[in-house]
Amino acid sequence: MKEFLYLFRGGDARQVHQSPEEMQAHMEKWGAWMKELGESGNLVGGLPLNAEGKVVEKSGEIVTDGPFAEGKEVVGGYIIVKANDLDHAVELSKECPIYEHGGSTEVRELMPM
Amino acid sequence: MADNVTNGESFSVVDHFFRHESGRVIAHLTRRFGGKYFEQIEDAVQESLLKAMQQWPFSGLPANPTAWIVRVAQNKMLDNLRHEKIASDKQALLSKKDEKGSLEEVYLEDELKDDLLKMMFACCHPSISMEHQVILALGILSGFSKVEVAKALLKSEEAVAKAYSRAKQKLKQSTENFIVPVGPQLNRRVDIILKIIYLMFNEGYNTTQGSSLIRRDLCEEAMRLTQLILENRLLRKPKVHALLALMCFQASRFDARVDANGRLLTLEEQDRSRWDQEMIQKGSTHFAKALGFGTLSDYHIQAAIAGCHCFAPDFKSTDWKRILELYDLQLRNNYSQVAALNRVVAVAKVKGEKTALDELEKIGGSFQGYYLYYAIKADLLKGLGSVSLAKEQLEKALQLTRNQIEKDHLLEKIASLKAPD
Repeated sequence: MKEFLYLFRGGDARQVHQSPEEMQAHMEKWGAWMKELGESGNLVGGLPLNAEGKVVEKSGEIVTDGPFAEGKEVVGGYIIVKANDLDHAVELSKECPIYEHGGSTEVRELMPM
Repeated sequence: MADNVTNGESFSVVDHFFRHESGRVIAHLTRRFGGKYFEQIEDAVQESLLKAMQQWPFSGLPANPTAWIVRVAQNKMLDNLRHEKIASDKQALLSKKDEKGSLEEVYLEDELKDDLLKMMFACCHPSISMEHQVILALGILSGFSKVEVAKALLKSEEAVAKAYSRAKQKLKQSTENFIVPVGPQLNRRVDIILKIIYLMFNEGYNTTQGSSLIRRDLCEEAMRLTQLILENRLLRKPKVHALLALMCFQASRFDARVDANGRLLTLEEQDRSRWDQEMIQKGSTHFAKALGFGTLSDYHIQAAIAGCHCFAPDFKSTDWKRILELYDLQLRNNYSQVAALNRVVAVAKVKGEKTALDELEKIGGSFQGYYLYYAIKADLLKGLGSVSLAKEQLEKALQLTRNQIEKDHLLEKIASLKAPD
């Protein structure tokens, strides 16, 4: 088994005005998906990211406030999963609720050290 | 690094949790920060729910999800105020800060309940029109989005958004004095609240247009808010129990009153085994509690009538005599056109169609332009064998309603009329 990083981009609910009822439904889908990954032993860990942040360039000569790019590009969180190979990792990401709001998952293999 | 992740822990909150917490937390923060910050409070609560949505799947549910939502929204508000740096609010800000530390989660539940009640009174302030009261109640107390309110009330989104923002301006004034009124005022205000709740229920119950899911939510919300009122010792009045009993009796037929094609079924056509017995039982319990001393409200009588239907094992054994007595009582107490028309149906069952027709014609003058009048008249004529006259009435009725389900219902009746007499 190899380890893969899922970077969740976009799908930011801030852009889509959701009702509390819809937010709860969406949250429950995420919860169920993560639970399944956990139970099958594929989930290693992960965290959501705060919307606020800074971009630092040129040794701090340029420091800009987030959001850093178009809403679509913003990384909202990440998880690390175990999978056989890249195809398997892509397969596992297909049920992720991020796509509901037009978000995407970037799947990257972690280099074994 | 990533040890916060839930790793397959059980993950679920109760149904409609976000919707209900939205209302309670908005009410709570309105009491603490003041109605003039209402828009910011709404945004802060929305943001808090968003954060919960993003974090909880990773972290698992916090020990006290409600306190978590309150804390995040409240901190957002404190940030807002800090940024505004309005001198006059600085003092308020400082005192709010102290409060922040001493917020005891033990008392939070009681506080939230109390605050929601106060918000209920604010939404139903007499200075706000009834139409706006309903929209505010749904939008704030029940946490419906504008799209959901529009769906539930069969209005356009723009119309709801416009009404909501106008109603909110009035609400800001009524929340300046964010209290449950006392003394003689209390009774009058409770009456308005009950009226709004029943209106909400009827919006959900009386038509089958649109999504049935949201209509059921509407009925459930009306019942939940009534339940909330009953939890308060001062507001626990017989008529509140009576209203809840009435809604339970009606809601017991929610599924049985439409067929698989969404066609509305009459009491006679409904499969009574599909009536929700648990709901009927709940209705009976509240009806019993409604019968303490105190005046007989309209809700008492309507609940009694609805109960008569619930307890009849089949249509034939309906106690029409008792129903007729109850309608007579209702009309003596408080005349209503719908009740007068429905009474005629009971008259027909007890004294025959001829008498009913005479009585209907006696009150007919005030019903020109009301489709139900002609529909009932047609039924009576049909019962008396005057098929062509019945058809005439149905055609009049058809011209007077724009509701597609009612139209279908009438067209079906016309089609079922056989050869002329």
